Amino acid sequence: MPTYLTIYLLPTLAEPLFHCSTKLYVNQLRVLLTKRLQKELLSLIKDPPPGVLVDSEKAEQNLSIWTIYMKGADETLFAGEEFQLQFKFSPKYPFDSPEVTFIGPNIPVHPHVYSNGHICLSILTEDWSPALSVQSVCLSIISMLSSCKEKKRPSDNAFYVKTCSKNPKKTKWWYHDDTV
Amino acid sequence: MGDSGGEFESGKNQDDLIMQRQREIEKEINESIMLVGDKESLSTLEAEYLSDEIYKLKVKDLATKYKNIRRTRPDGNCFFRAFAYAYFESLLDHKEDYNSFYNIAVESKKKLISLGFPQFTLEDFHDTFMEVLAIAGKEEPNAHDELHAAFNNQGYSNYVVVYLRLLASGQLQQDADFYQHFIEGDRTITEFCHQEVEPMFRESDHIHIIALSTALNVGVRVRYLDRGESTEAIAHDFPEGTQPTIHLLYRPSHYDILYPI
Repeated sequence: MPTYLTIYLLPTLAEPLFHCSTKLYVNQLRVLLTKRLQKELLSLIKDPPPGVLVDSEKAEQNLSIWTIYMKGADETLFAGEEFQLQFKFSPKYPFDSPEVTFIGPNIPVHPHVYSNGHICLSILTEDWSPALSVQSVCLSIISMLSSCKEKKRPSDNAFYVKTCSKNPKKTKWWYHDDTV
Repeated sequence: MGDSGGEFESGKNQDDLIMQRQREIEKEINESIMLVGDKESLSTLEAEYLSDEIYKLKVKDLATKYKNIRRTRPDGNCFFRAFAYAYFESLLDHKEDYNSFYNIAVESKKKLISLGFPQFTLEDFHDTFMEVLAIAGKEEPNAHDELHAAFNNQGYSNYVVVYLRLLASGQLQQDADFYQHFIEGDRTITEFCHQEVEPMFRESDHIHIIALSTALNVGVRVRYLDRGESTEAIAHDFPEGTQPTIHLLYRPSHYDILYPI
């Protein structure tokens, strides 16, 4: 079993199975993290949500940063448009949410998407759960785009883009409006 | 909002400051308190409230019923972590309960999948949960030490917490009609689960305890140590009317484990 792998790598520990040395502790988390990301990548390659394509070559080279291509769903305001998303995973994933932003030349014009690509979506920060996945985040973003009734930027776009941190997870978001 | 660069700055700093302070507090907690501590005498609790008459009386009464306390890290996961630790620990000495609980735990995964939880992410948490549970089934004399170490290793401990959170969520969603009455505001049970049960570090309330104890059929007695009128720490049993297997101490927004005399 992969979780035991670390034990064989560290045969000299006094209490092999659950010794709390930092080394083993870090390894345990890393093994689980790698296993989880590989599993997610495989599933996204094999069974992607409609209109979603992951750059698998890039992701396999560096498991902690993925680029995902997303098409606007048919019969929505974003039909025919193509977007790029970047997913960054910290060593604490899946306990920490992934950092997700739109990148590239086409940032969707949407009341919850800032022109710098930051997305205001509660599951990306405080409502994140380790049982969610890249797949479920993609589905939420598709649904967020699809339910859009008017293409416009958030009302505080200019202010936010000037002042925000590079990392959207460092923003203390206010999720005040779920209707758009 | 146009020209004042100063305002932009203060807006930014506010967010940064709040989150920076939050991280500092988290770090302080992480460094000073084990996820699950060692067994301590109840007198350490008495020592905390020497100058508080209300609490002093209640702790004194508590000391006639319980001999030990085991503290958990106050990180919002304390109920789930304390529950798992106390129950797994009790299974070490009750092999017949271990066997029946093992089966309940195996079945629970199927139940969650049938309720619509994604198998894909569920599996990792279930596997690690079963791995830690298996320690409670060991006959070796050091099984308790191994269990204790596992609960203090985030790579195992937090996976166990997540799985219990999913079980509680599953129970709430399965009996949504019943639990809906206990939810404040106009959230649905599913929304409540997504916001208050499934995310890590979100604190637990009665409803979490009822759901989890029902899902796993494990009786929990919670002793409430608060400013309420009465000279004892009032007991509540979950699910109502069951014989408690584990005992927890509640102080505003925190749970520790208690050991009866």
